[in-house]
Amino acid sequence: MRRSDIVAKAAIAVLGMAALSLPAIAAESTKVALVPGGPHPYFAAWEKAGQDAMKDFKLGAADYRIPQKWELSQQNELLESLLSQGYNAFLVFPGDPVGSNSTVAELTENGAPVIATAGCLKEPTTALFCLGTDTGNSAYLGTKELIKAMGGKGRIAHFSGFLVDPNTQLRIDAVEKAAKETNGAVKVVQVITDIDAPEPAEEKINAYLAAHANEVDGIITTAWIPAVVASNALRKIGDKRIQMVGIDHDEVVLKAIKDGFVHGTMLQNPYGQGYIGSFALDKIRSGCKVKPDAPFKTIALTNRFIDSGTVFAGKDAVDNYVASMQAITKEIFANFASTYLSCP
Amino acid sequence: MLSRESQTLRFLLSNEFGLIVLIAIFAGVFSLFTPGFTSPFNQFTLGRTMAIDIMIGFSMMVVIVTGGLNLSVGAIGVCAAIGFGWLVETLGLPLPMALLGALALGATLGTVNGILIVRSGLHSFIITLATMSIFFGVMVFLTHAEAFRIIPPEMSAFGKMRILSYVSPLLLISIAVGVLLTCLYRLTPLGREMLAAGAKAAAAELSGVRIGRTFVICHSLSGVLAAIAATMVVARNGAAIPSMAGGLGQDWLLPAVLGPVLGGTLLTGGRVSVFGTFLGSAFVTTLTNGLLQFRVGEFWLQTWLGGLLLLAVLIDLARRRYLARGGRRMA
Repeated sequence: MRRSDIVAKAAIAVLGMAALSLPAIAAESTKVALVPGGPHPYFAAWEKAGQDAMKDFKLGAADYRIPQKWELSQQNELLESLLSQGYNAFLVFPGDPVGSNSTVAELTENGAPVIATAGCLKEPTTALFCLGTDTGNSAYLGTKELIKAMGGKGRIAHFSGFLVDPNTQLRIDAVEKAAKETNGAVKVVQVITDIDAPEPAEEKINAYLAAHANEVDGIITTAWIPAVVASNALRKIGDKRIQMVGIDHDEVVLKAIKDGFVHGTMLQNPYGQGYIGSFALDKIRSGCKVKPDAPFKTIALTNRFIDSGTVFAGKDAVDNYVASMQAITKEIFANFASTYLSCP
Repeated sequence: MLSRESQTLRFLLSNEFGLIVLIAIFAGVFSLFTPGFTSPFNQFTLGRTMAIDIMIGFSMMVVIVTGGLNLSVGAIGVCAAIGFGWLVETLGLPLPMALLGALALGATLGTVNGILIVRSGLHSFIITLATMSIFFGVMVFLTHAEAFRIIPPEMSAFGKMRILSYVSPLLLISIAVGVLLTCLYRLTPLGREMLAAGAKAAAAELSGVRIGRTFVICHSLSGVLAAIAATMVVARNGAAIPSMAGGLGQDWLLPAVLGPVLGGTLLTGGRVSVFGTFLGSAFVTTLTNGLLQFRVGEFWLQTWLGGLLLLAVLIDLARRRYLARGGRRMA
């Protein structure tokens, strides 16, 4: 082999290695990573949503990747690693509405668009927009349903999520607002927070109900695990006098609704978030832009908020909750591109 | 005086050499089998994460030297970060002043730990377990868990800066601090007093070492190093966030202990390896990064990390036994 051949082959090898080592930006097809803040059953629907989106929109990938713990640093490391692995578009539930902005900025600076999903980033942010549940509205509608089931009067206990989650305060305010609209007929007598994890939820909800079950007429839960624990607690007590409206679609909650221990649940739409979000990212990568005058909602964290939908499911609708979620998704998806994107 | 062969054998038997070999082996494997591992972006983020973990490891190491522990490293770090955010955002102090203020706060909280330990005579484990909750609780009470995000843009730019595309300047800070700590322990009377006090306090006291004062200084130093780590995290996140080290700052405990212990710092005190701590932290960060690149299932990551750490320790043990046998034959 001549020396020039060796040099040429070495150069090709080096270039090949360099190409392999480039982050995903150079990749042609859209490879979406759907990354929650940590393990939580709420996000399980993202996996199916990603798979469906990959098939329907012919994406290179749409993979659900979970940080092993609810730690901002773990999520940051995972996101950085995914960029190096070739993912070029991200749906991210921000581990922290402020602290995740820096990592999101790095992703976008490297050419990977990001949509804050299921939770928003505090403005200013380089994320395209926030696609999630209008948590305040969902809590408000759920409380209205609960008040109706209580006959328009009584005392409510509210079990919610982590105080560091900005959604929690919005939910507390919304429940209070719905109660105030009854002119004193309904009163929120207890708010228990920081219980969106099995151990604290079991401990605090069971202790509260053991001591005060006779003093409350209704329970509203605005986080997944408190809904599950409160449903189980009401089943154990066996008294169907206390009305309860839960949140999300855990089997325990759905069964409790069927058996009459829980009045209903406020469904969110994690499937739609994953599916529509993946679609939007692919569109953005193929040249579309977010319309500056799109009809975004304004919430506490951002003025670029898109509601992914929420719906109440009582005993009669509980068997068809998947259809309910798909119907919401279909409705939002039908006009999504024309409403929020401008494409060449 | 040791012969050249003995010195070489001693180095080959050391933790530091073992860690260098292990890092080289695993980095080689990751480079060969995961194309993203060697990418400039990954090397940059790996170095940045490593820098923070090394600094957290140092902040625990300087207390382990005394035979104690500082469980409040994370809580001190969060307090220093929030203090920094308050100084720049609320008081509007210039960046250097705010940085000094954060380090001073770290030193103060570390000193409080040291004084409580010396005065009470209780083990540092108990005292720092209590102060972890106290420091973090007071910080949450004062800030209502609100983040400070208006930090000077040059600070965020520093966190994102890349030297020659690959290297984070944060890593250079960790290296510089490592060099200073090595000088402290090798070249200064204070450093030698710290080691003597950790090895055998009673004997050190008889030789004139003021044990209480030395322990307090070690904890103050730990506070300063935790504060440096915290300001590095602020630069990386572009904000000072109460949840940056998890509830009570507990997320920092694992990197704080792993680095020094893998690096050969004795938990019973009296022996320190700054370079070993550096390598120990670097090794764990490299393993984690490589496993993420390998796309092992998220829920398997800890299992794999534990398995590889065990494998690494066994390989290292085999290496030492082999070399020790060779050494005896030579003798």
